[in-house]
Amino acid sequence: MSGHHVSTAKFLWGVAIALLFLTFLTVAAAWMHFPEPWNVIVKLGIAVVKAFIVAAFFMNLWWDTKFNALLLFMSILFLFIFVGITLLDTLYRTDPIPGF
Amino acid sequence: MAQPSLSVKKEKPEHHHFVDADQQFEASKMGVWIFLVTEILFFGGLFAAYIVYRAWYPELFIAASDELDVFWGAVNTVVLISSSLTVAMAIRSVQLNQIKGLIINLWITISLAGVFMVIKYFEYAEKIGKGVLPGAHYTYDGVDHEKANIFFSIYYMMTGLHGIHVLVGISLMLWLVWKAKKGHFSSKYYNPVEGTGLYWHLVDIIWIFLFPLLYLID
Amino acid sequence: MATSDSPNIKKLQVRRYPPEENPKKTYLTEERGLWAWMTTVDHKKIGWLYLSSIAFFFFVAGVLALLLRTELLTPSQSFITADTYNQLFTLHGAIMVFFFLVPSVPAALGNFILPLQLGCKDVAFPRVNLLSFYIYVAGAIIVLTAIFTGGVDTGWTFYTPYSSSAAGGNIMMMTFGVFVLGFSSILTGLNFIVTIHRMRSPGLTWNKLPLFLWGLYATSVIQILATPVLAITLLLLTMERLLGIGIFDPAIGGDPVLYQHFFWFYSHPAVYIMIVPGFGIISEIITTFSRKHIFGYWAIALSSLAIAFIGFLVWGHHMFVAGQSSLANMVFSFLTFLVGIPTGIKIFNWVATMYKGSIDLKTPMLYAMSFLFLFMIGGFTGIMLGALSVDIHLHDTYYVVAHFHYVMMGGMVFAFLGGLHYWWPKMTGKMYNEFWAKISLLILFIGFNLTFLPQFVMGSLGMPRRYFNYLEQFQGYHQLSTWGAYLLGVGFVIMAVYLFHSMRNGKQAKANPWGSRSLEWQASSPPPLHNFEHHTPVIIHGSYDYHKPMSEFQLGIPTSHNGHGEEETVTPEPGPAEEADK
Repeated sequence: MSGHHVSTAKFLWGVAIALLFLTFLTVAAAWMHFPEPWNVIVKLGIAVVKAFIVAAFFMNLWWDTKFNALLLFMSILFLFIFVGITLLDTLYRTDPIPGF
Repeated sequence: MAQPSLSVKKEKPEHHHFVDADQQFEASKMGVWIFLVTEILFFGGLFAAYIVYRAWYPELFIAASDELDVFWGAVNTVVLISSSLTVAMAIRSVQLNQIKGLIINLWITISLAGVFMVIKYFEYAEKIGKGVLPGAHYTYDGVDHEKANIFFSIYYMMTGLHGIHVLVGISLMLWLVWKAKKGHFSSKYYNPVEGTGLYWHLVDIIWIFLFPLLYLID
Repeated sequence: MATSDSPNIKKLQVRRYPPEENPKKTYLTEERGLWAWMTTVDHKKIGWLYLSSIAFFFFVAGVLALLLRTELLTPSQSFITADTYNQLFTLHGAIMVFFFLVPSVPAALGNFILPLQLGCKDVAFPRVNLLSFYIYVAGAIIVLTAIFTGGVDTGWTFYTPYSSSAAGGNIMMMTFGVFVLGFSSILTGLNFIVTIHRMRSPGLTWNKLPLFLWGLYATSVIQILATPVLAITLLLLTMERLLGIGIFDPAIGGDPVLYQHFFWFYSHPAVYIMIVPGFGIISEIITTFSRKHIFGYWAIALSSLAIAFIGFLVWGHHMFVAGQSSLANMVFSFLTFLVGIPTGIKIFNWVATMYKGSIDLKTPMLYAMSFLFLFMIGGFTGIMLGALSVDIHLHDTYYVVAHFHYVMMGGMVFAFLGGLHYWWPKMTGKMYNEFWAKISLLILFIGFNLTFLPQFVMGSLGMPRRYFNYLEQFQGYHQLSTWGAYLLGVGFVIMAVYLFHSMRNGKQAKANPWGSRSLEWQASSPPPLHNFEHHTPVIIHGSYDYHKPMSEFQLGIPTSHNGHGEEETVTPEPGPAEEADK
């Protein structure tokens, strides 16, 4: 448990460059026009990787107490519960009276 | 792990009800993290609305996102990522007791946040100019879909709320500069800098998701 | 006392600190005056500020309830118009839920007791604590303004399109007030989680944490995970009225059922925000007055967390007939039944705790037993409402009203009152009149059942909720219910009288009048300004170890700072020093 992790300047620059490269990649992916399901998956996949890098190395979760990482995980889990169960309704609704 | 340790060689805490400075640092950082949890779920409601409507009207999202300018969205992403870097550098500076470096890094971050808002302003102005307004006030007819107004409602809610968070971040950092100049911070006590940094990174993360979700649908 | 030589175990020199009887210096005698109270960061005073505010709102919303019941004495109009009636039931619900039930146990009793049970001087962020109180006040002022500038008649749930396109009232201001209030709730939850994690006394490990704190912990988790979703929902609703964003409003292409998903994702877990800390109080009371170790400590502690978690998965049972997909209906119905499991675990463990205990029927214990009876009825009828086919018949009838009141009033309010009586000597340093307390409880118990039992019957016969007029065949039930409500009013007036009376003229309370082993009773009554002024408590035994002598519970080590920053030299006083492992 070291709350006072000090990163080197070189390391922080490296993280930022990785993030900028991934930004370039995601725009490039948009130009390439992947077929439908892959389109979303690739772009969100890149976004998840970027978010992970920020959380782990800029927000120091990598070195922090596990509980703070657990908090982040829980918030995402409950967001998934919220969206997932709502979709159980909105995706499977059939009009009780067609055309209503 | 969380037991307040009772050995004598400990930094004194800033506030008396803590046992020592370490306990206070860990407590305040955990407090900020819990606050970030609430922020994630706060934005989460908008993401939920986005997902539900995108699942209902995929063709609307493809058509309407053409109205957004990928170039300026990408520029803003670069601006925010750079500001995340400078905020991390600011924390590094204060950890090494370089108060001057802290202040310079904070100023750079504030300027980058300002650039983000200016670009956002021009994007909004361009849209409002052609009648792309949220919901009931929507008058633009360039998007061929009866629910185009709802896409732009979601767009304005998401980016607007994010923009408000950027403004809050700017004020927090101005406050930090003020406190730093008065000599409040040192490598022994920099909890507010750490907390603001965490907040700012979260604002960055949210934009990292908003960018592909709103601009990059083809 | 373990005397292992493992390197992880640090030996601490402890000595006994029996609490001072009839203390001269208490938190009430220091920092006096209105200004000191309004700007205090002391968790005990903030607890009092909350307690008086929620008592005020309970009174307001209670009077509204009596007006509603009076109106329902006759099948047609009795004395108010239908529009006023709509406003009254909306305000009764909204005020009770958002201004009384949600903050009652955590913010009022929890604020007072939590640091005492942890053995720390204050919560982790005392100024945030005060801020959360003022956010509550700000929210309250906004809501009261809304009431006097048009009112609201949407029902406390603010369903669209009632709330988005209907003309009546000052809905925007009302929802804005509730939006503001949410932040108060979030900040309290945040404060409690950090405090429980970071501020525990030496030796107070997770498996010795009092069950009240487990309840508050689970509650705080719900508060921080669910309340933000309410905030965004109300923000979207405000934007719906302001800009017509059309996400929820069907008139502009939105989906009103989506609003219900958003709303209930907060508001279903919110009923657990209300009841779970009540469970915690019941655990404390039952074990104290049974003089017995709690039965199934971990089962009760973890079932609180389980309820908190499952509570997030069941919100759709409010929407069975709202046009939700049948797939979602089935999933939600199934998950709803699961809530019964952890709740049942708690009930069985409480009853098992009482088994062969040395039961002392003091007022708090009687409240706890009333709770068990009333909450069981509320819980079982909830399971019935969770069954899909039964719910088609019973939805939006008085059956639902009765179920909700059995859980919230019979459960939560009775638990809250039990806790209030239980900790009253600690909070005020005075004893209330036991005789009148029992009389008032008896009146409340009879009045409550008289009010709400008939509502189960008329609900199952088809009397819809929220109706201004009704068929004559229901008049008998309605009148019984109204007389019961008056009786409830009488019970509360008696309670207010003897509690106020005890503050001035009550008998001086002992530090530990109930003989509890819990840490808050090891401070004097009322506690000093910084709780354990001269020592840091050291915990060796759990707070339910009634088989251990009291002398092993009042241990501590001298503190080096008294809370004002000045370093004090500590001279260990002579006395029987004991060793504790940490």
